[in-house]
Amino acid sequence: MKAYIALIKKEARENWRTYKTPLLVAVFILFGVISPLFAKLMPEILKQLATTGVKITLPPPTALDSWAQFFKNMRQMGLLVLVILFSGTVATEFTRGTLINLLTKGLPRRTVILAKFTMTTVLWTSAYALSVAITTAYTAYYWTMPTYHHLILTFSGPWLFGLLLISLLILGGICFTTTIGSLLTCGGAVILMTLINIVPTWQASNPLTLITQNLALLTGKLAVGDFWPAALVAVGAIVISLGSSIIIFDRRAI
Amino acid sequence: MPILTLEHVTKRFGRQMVLNDLNLIVPEGRIFGFLGENGAGKTTTMKLILGLLRADQGVIKVNGEPVTFGQTTTNRLIGYLPDVPAFYDYMRPQEYLQLCGEISGLSKDCLNQRSTELLTHVGLANTHQKIGGFSRGMKQRLGIAQALLNEPRLLICDEPTSALDPVGRLEILDILQQLKGQTTVFFSTHVLADVERICDEIAILHAGKIALTGQIDDLKAKHATHHLRVKFATTAELNQFISLGWSDFQTDLVSFSVTLTAPDILKLEMTVMQALATQQLTPISLERTAPTLEQLFMEVVQ
Repeated sequence: MKAYIALIKKEARENWRTYKTPLLVAVFILFGVISPLFAKLMPEILKQLATTGVKITLPPPTALDSWAQFFKNMRQMGLLVLVILFSGTVATEFTRGTLINLLTKGLPRRTVILAKFTMTTVLWTSAYALSVAITTAYTAYYWTMPTYHHLILTFSGPWLFGLLLISLLILGGICFTTTIGSLLTCGGAVILMTLINIVPTWQASNPLTLITQNLALLTGKLAVGDFWPAALVAVGAIVISLGSSIIIFDRRAI
Repeated sequence: MPILTLEHVTKRFGRQMVLNDLNLIVPEGRIFGFLGENGAGKTTTMKLILGLLRADQGVIKVNGEPVTFGQTTTNRLIGYLPDVPAFYDYMRPQEYLQLCGEISGLSKDCLNQRSTELLTHVGLANTHQKIGGFSRGMKQRLGIAQALLNEPRLLICDEPTSALDPVGRLEILDILQQLKGQTTVFFSTHVLADVERICDEIAILHAGKIALTGQIDDLKAKHATHHLRVKFATTAELNQFISLGWSDFQTDLVSFSVTLTAPDILKLEMTVMQALATQQLTPISLERTAPTLEQLFMEVVQ
């Protein structure tokens, strides 16, 4: 436990001093601010872009447009920022040889994996929660908030998907010991999930649902029961990724 | 009980046999030089001792406890200094030792005291810059400090001086020499001058086995029977003697002497004396000499 806490402190210091924490927080604050703002200004932007003679009529934006913008930003940019920032978290330890001193001091190998997962999860959770809070505040400021369904579950979707990506980054790093290996493992998994989504009967249990069906869940078009299978598969995949990382790392020569 | 034993250790990388039935005993309290050419398998042996690599065959014991690969509990007895120690560039030396100490399970008070002592000992007590800005010598000294943090019974250093300038080299050798009597130091190198300077005992690794091991003075005495030094008063006499066609010899033009080497020293002495009589040469001295470590090393690896 002492070693785990020591390593958590080391990870926190590393992420702060290598600017990962400030960058992640800054980017997610930005997402929180621009999602509602973009939804609010969309009709104005389109009006400016429209050429003379063409008339675009749009219904006035609602709070739901703000959330649609938020989930789109998370899906397209937020998760990508997370993956890119933390793609080297395991790999650089191998390429630079920094773990050797620590492991030869009796540090259990699994502690490395668990501490890295914990710290990245804490950062991701904080940044994501901050972003949700800012979006909520601005959305409530610009519009009257209607009653939403399954609020917590809806917002848990991208968060859980983020955890899945973090566990895949770690697995990739352990297997291939390079940053590119981590990125390819993550990218490969996302491509696989996209392919699985082609089969309609598999869509419900595809973790991709966690980041694509949020609005449907929020508006009550999707039942809670339709969201759970994907969440459970994601949790299973996280456990398997971390478990395999621990087993593979224990057998790896350094 | 010896602090370190390797029994019948074998390690292959693919088809390449790096260690082949290697046996070695390191007694406690010594400064033990582990010699070998580049690529002889010194680093591999050290990584096996540290449980970073898995041996194909054989048993390694540290203080009587077998070493296991992966989760290596024997590492609590060991301090390790890699050839090029890698640190976290964004940390300061004190912070790095703090991390190492917490991992080793040292208490807070003990850790603070120990890290201050060690940083003073290696000359980094007043260095507050981040490790990223350190020179190689400074990194090597910090490497020694982290290796000694948990007061190890066995300190393993992998070529600690090979990448350093002469000043840095002497600093590291001094630090290691001061450990004599407190900790067993097992260090690999191919710088023979370093070995002569601080080691009491050596082992030479060649072709995957220990080709020679023992205390330096004993080894030299044992091999003294192979070398005969003949010293003359003038260069002319020296040249006349050399021109007789000796098969294995080294000349020293400064002292007008030649050192001949042969497996049978008695036969060599007879031959030399006969040659001197025939040529009517009178040497100033004729003596059996101890070989240098370099000569010993060359004998083993050639």
